[in-house]
Amino acid sequence: MSAPALTLDGLGVSFSGFKAVDGFSMVVNAGEVRVLLGANGAGKTTLMDLISGKTKSTAGEVRLFGRDITNLEEHHIAQAGVGRKFQIPSIFRDLSVRDNLVVACTRRPSVLSNLRVKRSADERQRFDEVVETVGLSGSLDRLAGALSHGETQWLELGMLIGQGAKVILLDEPTAGMTQGETMKTASLINTMRGSHTMLVVEHDMAFVREIASKITVMHLGKHLAEGSIASIEANEAVRNAYLGSGGIH
Amino acid sequence: MNLSFHQRWELFAYAAFVVAILLLPLVADAFWLNRFAKYLVFGMLGIAVALSWGYAGILNLGQGLFFGVGAYMISMSLKLQSPTSQLPGAQTPIPDFMLWNAEPDAMKDLCCITDGSWLWIPFQYQGFGIAMAVLVPALIAFLIGYAIFRLRVSGVFISIITLALVLLVRLVIIEFQPVTNGFNGLTDLGWLTLGGVEFDPYLVSTYYIVAIGTILVLLLTRLLVAARAGLILQATRDDANRARYLGYNVAAYQVFFFTVSGLIAGIAGMLYVIASEFASPTFLDLAFSVSMVVWAAVGGRSSLLGACIGAILINTVQATASESEMLGEAWKAIVGLMFVLAVLYLPRGLAGLARDLLDRLREQVPTRRGALPTPQRSE
Repeated sequence: MSAPALTLDGLGVSFSGFKAVDGFSMVVNAGEVRVLLGANGAGKTTLMDLISGKTKSTAGEVRLFGRDITNLEEHHIAQAGVGRKFQIPSIFRDLSVRDNLVVACTRRPSVLSNLRVKRSADERQRFDEVVETVGLSGSLDRLAGALSHGETQWLELGMLIGQGAKVILLDEPTAGMTQGETMKTASLINTMRGSHTMLVVEHDMAFVREIASKITVMHLGKHLAEGSIASIEANEAVRNAYLGSGGIH
Repeated sequence: MNLSFHQRWELFAYAAFVVAILLLPLVADAFWLNRFAKYLVFGMLGIAVALSWGYAGILNLGQGLFFGVGAYMISMSLKLQSPTSQLPGAQTPIPDFMLWNAEPDAMKDLCCITDGSWLWIPFQYQGFGIAMAVLVPALIAFLIGYAIFRLRVSGVFISIITLALVLLVRLVIIEFQPVTNGFNGLTDLGWLTLGGVEFDPYLVSTYYIVAIGTILVLLLTRLLVAARAGLILQATRDDANRARYLGYNVAAYQVFFFTVSGLIAGIAGMLYVIASEFASPTFLDLAFSVSMVVWAAVGGRSSLLGACIGAILINTVQATASESEMLGEAWKAIVGLMFVLAVLYLPRGLAGLARDLLDRLREQVPTRRGALPTPQRSE
């Protein structure tokens, strides 16, 4: 099958003795959409913090296409190809949608290489692709802060595509969305499937069914189970840990 | 080139401003011209504040640090060129205050007349003083910026640190009286001399040095924020984390623009000395640094030209009001009122007001060009 894009190897962090993530190992293959499930406090967001460099791990390794990116600074991890979407949508509110995407599509990150006004052909092409993919062509001149909740989320997704991220971490991308918006997000993720590798934290099972190629379940910071939706739903350990011993009524 | 409605008006505003300050000598006498040169310098400070506060979101309450250091650097050179420093029988020019402070048997030479007086030796070359006035403030800004932004200090803490630093440097200058003349500052300065020409502060040519300096700073800074780096800087202001996860080293952008802002303030300090013939620890007073922020707030902190005009306007009003007998001491209240009104009703300052008025104008006359009948040529 395809090569591993993101490899977590015994990853762990402890906050003054409390192990939020504990010896977590997982391999996500290139082009896969992996959904990470787990009850509140299972360590899903912390795991994303460890991958993206927001929190420094105390054990284990993170590898991106074989390259060790453990505990690099956030912008170096981002430059290596990891994009992250936050639970609370985070965009540049006082800039226009166009400028948000221009900033995201800029190829070279240093100050001195950005003392220029013109966009390169490469950047312009990527910009056009992103605008088409996320469907914001009608809103380019609006302030990003004036977008609706759904549009904000899509803009942020577009920025991750524009940034050239190969592995994208999505933390509850449909939180607070209407049914219609959720479905549009699902189709957006499905168009990105293949060209991007995605790790998604999500609770909305309808949405998970729509996008997931494989599910990993986390419990108390540890890897609990992994497999297709059907096999996870049938898994006894998952039922006990995540759904509660009584299951869903 | 296709310019939007706002871009065209902005271009017009910049052009009008440049033409106005270049033509000012036609209408102003020597006294007002000299005064206006100082206001242009304050305009540069407005630009420096707008760059760091408006564009980078860094509220620096110690901009006077860079202004003061720039002023002191050039003053040391100009002081040595002053007739008051030429001592009969001495090997080198010696500032008069050093002589007054020196031990009676001290050697009358810059190397050793007082402790630390050797620091003045290279300033005998005016070029050195000019270079230091530009480089030292920028270097200090770089070091401060590097220390605080690498540690991700943000928001009000930056203001507190910069505020403390400007007061610290002020104390150092006052304490090292044998080298700096303490509270009294450096006075009785000589004139700037370029290519054998002396620049009397009341000459039109001196005004033009300041005016052209201001125009260059204004236009270059405008270009800088129009560049991609300026856009990325604004992005870091809106959401530093987002910028970081897009792959930008946020601290590098902050340090770079903080340094540019310090550099501009340093140049402003140098030009101020050329126009006013003194440097004093009052340049590092907290009140002065806070005034700069007020100018930028009234003019519009997110507009370089707005902040520049705000500074010039407030200082003109302040000077006129403080000299009017009728108003007397009320001028302070007038300036305070302007600030309060700007904060309450004009959060984007005069520049924001101008923009809103233009927008309204455009709505009322939507297609003026199209509505006008084509003029017929009569035979």
